[in-house]
Amino acid sequence: MDQAKGRKKLSKETKRTLVAYSFIAPNFIGFAVFTLIPVVFAFILAFTKWDGSNPIQWVGLGNFIELFHDTFFKAALKNTIIYCIGTVPLTMIASLGLAIVLNQKVICRGVFRTISFFPYVASLVAVTAVWKMLFSKTGPVNAILYYVFHVPNNELPQWFVGGLVMVSYILFSVWKYMGYYMVIYLAGLQGISGEMYEAASLDGANTWQKFRSITWPQLRPTTFFVVVMLTINCFKVFDIATLLAGGDNNTLTPSSTVLVHYIYQQAFVNWEFGYSSAVAMVLFLLVLIVTLIQFRGEAKFSNS
Amino acid sequence: MKKRFLSLMMACTMAVSLTACGSPSQETTTAAPKQENTTAAPTTTAAENKDNKDNASDAVTLKWAIWDQDTTPYWVALKDGYEATHDNVKIELVDLGSTDYMTVLATQLSGSTSAFDVVSVKDVPGYATLVQKNTIEPLDSYIKADNIDLSLYGGATDQITVDGSLYQLPFRNDFWVLFYNKDLFDAKNLAYPTNDMTFEEYDALARQVSSEDFGSQIYGAHYHTWRSAVQLFGVLDGKNTILSGNYDFFKPYYELVLNQEADGICRKYTDLKTESLHYSAAFAGGDVAMMNMGSWYISTLISKLQSGEYLKEDCGNWGMAKYPHAEGVEAGSTLGTITGIAITTGASDKDAAWDFVSFVSGTEGAQIMAQTGNFPAIMTDEAMELIAGLEGFPADEQSKEALKVSNLYLEVPYHESVSEVNSILDTYHASIMSGEMSIDDGIAAMNEEIGKILK
Repeated sequence: MDQAKGRKKLSKETKRTLVAYSFIAPNFIGFAVFTLIPVVFAFILAFTKWDGSNPIQWVGLGNFIELFHDTFFKAALKNTIIYCIGTVPLTMIASLGLAIVLNQKVICRGVFRTISFFPYVASLVAVTAVWKMLFSKTGPVNAILYYVFHVPNNELPQWFVGGLVMVSYILFSVWKYMGYYMVIYLAGLQGISGEMYEAASLDGANTWQKFRSITWPQLRPTTFFVVVMLTINCFKVFDIATLLAGGDNNTLTPSSTVLVHYIYQQAFVNWEFGYSSAVAMVLFLLVLIVTLIQFRGEAKFSNS
Repeated sequence: MKKRFLSLMMACTMAVSLTACGSPSQETTTAAPKQENTTAAPTTTAAENKDNKDNASDAVTLKWAIWDQDTTPYWVALKDGYEATHDNVKIELVDLGSTDYMTVLATQLSGSTSAFDVVSVKDVPGYATLVQKNTIEPLDSYIKADNIDLSLYGGATDQITVDGSLYQLPFRNDFWVLFYNKDLFDAKNLAYPTNDMTFEEYDALARQVSSEDFGSQIYGAHYHTWRSAVQLFGVLDGKNTILSGNYDFFKPYYELVLNQEADGICRKYTDLKTESLHYSAAFAGGDVAMMNMGSWYISTLISKLQSGEYLKEDCGNWGMAKYPHAEGVEAGSTLGTITGIAITTGASDKDAAWDFVSFVSGTEGAQIMAQTGNFPAIMTDEAMELIAGLEGFPADEQSKEALKVSNLYLEVPYHESVSEVNSILDTYHASIMSGEMSIDDGIAAMNEEIGKILK
């Protein structure tokens, strides 16, 4: 009797686990096939030389040593880091500013919120085409510089060439993604109790003091999430670079290339899967380190 | 209990169906264009199968990888031409699109070399990739057995030989000429470009014909953003190639073009790139006097003028001249681009595949190519007459004469590292043309980076 009961209980539990697994399975199998296995495989590939067809050759750390002498890799790494340093704080400030303004009772609040969110929803390909037109040599932006600010014709900036190309990437990215982070900040702002502001007002706090002592600390978890997501997304930049500066044969010069584009080029133009995976590993490590630092910083803040 | 069992079953089916779509989904995407192409075929195959039921096992279907079926008339013409004389062979066209054709093809063949029986090869870097990946067959034994005369290809096959073996046969051979707009020369009472111009004469002519009058700006020349349009003026002397590892010979041509840009003789590279201005639209706009471009543009011009997409008053009065040349180099030396056809290593019936390859790349294929207004790799006088006789082809003798090539240098000859060399040259071409680097710095960077690869 006891035995039978035990078996029944066990099978019940097993069944429950099975049900649980079966619910996870669709997602997990997809994740494993399309993400997990390729990622693990890429880790191994980084130490090999492989073109996708011929036998894999083990080269140890050879790929990583080669990276140090690779002009294009160094250029891509530098550009990616510049892009992140420019984009992360600017997007954060812009989205926070927007969120604070649009959290107040302004006229047509809904309309302005929609307008700010619109770039995020719009198709990237379509909006890059518009930006290329706006910022072209003879486009409206340069026309304003010429007619309003009297910049001489031969000194008008070329927005997608040389040093300015990074500025264009950053401006574009801030404009495109601030709406999304604004929504996250708006949610955060609405979670702050109005009583706090009321109490602060009674104590005679001005707007800046309220922001510093209430809004900013209360938003810390939101800010943490925003910064982590932004950093990760920034390091992954590819589409913006290709579409804004790639031209019709997708060629990026050393001043406009980024890491992911270089990974793509090594893998699918030069068919160097091993070397390409090594670059991907560097990107992975970079994101990992930056994220770990952010997590540690956050933990420290919440404890103090 | 029953409920729980049901939910378990449902979850399991969901999981199974999800994993099941994993691999076939890839196939359905590639199969989609295939189905379109073959919709017309089944009725005939069904009828034929009934007729010779015992022969059914002999029927061969060859899968052929191509691009842009809708806008490129010769694929279907070649297929129909072959099927008309070979009852038991069906050619199945699989359209992979032109933008990243070689990448898609190489990726598919990496997965399985039997994905196709016959493949079209768009460019030499792509050819190099396929050869190195062991995805296409060496054709030497077939060529020997069938006594194919390689001299018919005018030396093009020598430039794509890999360690003494040939892995593709060219069936289309385009070469670069100078297109010009007669109306713009007439307006200024200038003589047309000739078939024997040095670069100095060409430069002077471009400067004469251009005008900066507000509202009616005329550009004397136009250079598309490809590096071939600028750099490769330098390889026409036959002494320099892009595989030499030293690129100092590019310098005079970068100077020529960048000086023209600075003086407003041609559109700026950076503008072309940000505006993504296509060369065909640039010439069709009617404000470009001369443009160096491949012979593929002939059929585009003819058909788009006929359809009314290009206006006759803008560019209807066009002509062609031979490429300009450096002092002391024979006139008619120009750049060539070949399109080839190859057999995959995984082809199910290689002999049948070879028969088709030799048809497409041979004289019969050449005839079909010429009829559709394209330059076959085997250039005969007959094919030349066919093209020059097309309706809409310029009537003057000089334009016909411009089709006669004395020396043809491939834009990209074969080398095992040609893909890497190609992408480095592309990159620094963009750097020099956009002004990010001086000509000297850009060339020095090419020398250094490519030097590392060629060692």
